[in-house]
Amino acid sequence: MPNTTSPAGAMARPGQADIDAAPPAHRRALTIRPHAARQPRPRWQRFVLAVIVLGAIWAVLTGFRLDALGFGVPAVLGGAALVFVLPGAPGWRLSPGGALAFVIWFSAQSVRGAVDVAIRAFSPDMGLRPGFRRHPLALPGGAPRVLFLNTITLLPGTLSAEVAGDEVIVHMLDERADLAADLAALEMRIAALFALQAPGGRGGEGRP
Amino acid sequence: MADILAAGLMALGAVFFIAGSVGLLRFPDVYCRLHALTKADGLGLALIALGVALRADSFGEVFRILLIWFFVAVASATGGHLIAAHARRSDREAGEGEAGNV
Repeated sequence: MPNTTSPAGAMARPGQADIDAAPPAHRRALTIRPHAARQPRPRWQRFVLAVIVLGAIWAVLTGFRLDALGFGVPAVLGGAALVFVLPGAPGWRLSPGGALAFVIWFSAQSVRGAVDVAIRAFSPDMGLRPGFRRHPLALPGGAPRVLFLNTITLLPGTLSAEVAGDEVIVHMLDERADLAADLAALEMRIAALFALQAPGGRGGEGRP
Repeated sequence: MADILAAGLMALGAVFFIAGSVGLLRFPDVYCRLHALTKADGLGLALIALGVALRADSFGEVFRILLIWFFVAVASATGGHLIAAHARRSDREAGEGEAGNV
């Protein structure tokens, strides 16, 4: 996802700055370490990981056919070799429990989001009150932030429209919804998924 | 039994695709339309994929369906973000000097 920097301030509506200026206490817990991203893994390690993942995908896609390896081996090695070309993303690790909780929550939320927008599409007045809001990006860059931005779009009534510096500009179908609370909940879940806040966890600074 | 369930899931998925298309036609601007496309069509595809997966013969097929769903979901969220960001950029360029546009 490109980090589009753009002139900030043009979109903020008067009176909204004070809403965003005072995040709820549970969100401040995350904003303590906005850029405490881990170092990228060593390249050879990422290469081996990519070979394993791509190889497994290839094997299942082709139904473990040996004659498909003529294409598979070069494709897997070529794809994995991209780690030597592309810049390294910050390293991360998953928490299995957090991942399971996230998948369940994410499924329920995306159903809610789709049902909400489907009802609006079919209802006579649609109940739209669209508008933009800013939200400070609390999660570290790399996978957690990309997942956050992509998941915003699947939550009910919100769409990640633009990244401006350290803020995401969210488009809302109904401005009256409590955006800060919804996104803070999402941030907490992604933090749990990536084990960012586990007490005593690697890289974690603990809770305040 | 699995056939009925699969057919029901696919029919429900089609309903969400129709809802996404109706939203695309009825919603007032590009941003609201993106909501309809990313969310309703995303669930529509998930339901159809689930229905098809119920009828799959092998684990490999289920895995392929899962991969398709995953890549479409990522592409639709990322594509929606890129379209919205582009729309905001062109709005800004068109409305240079106008305060608080959009």
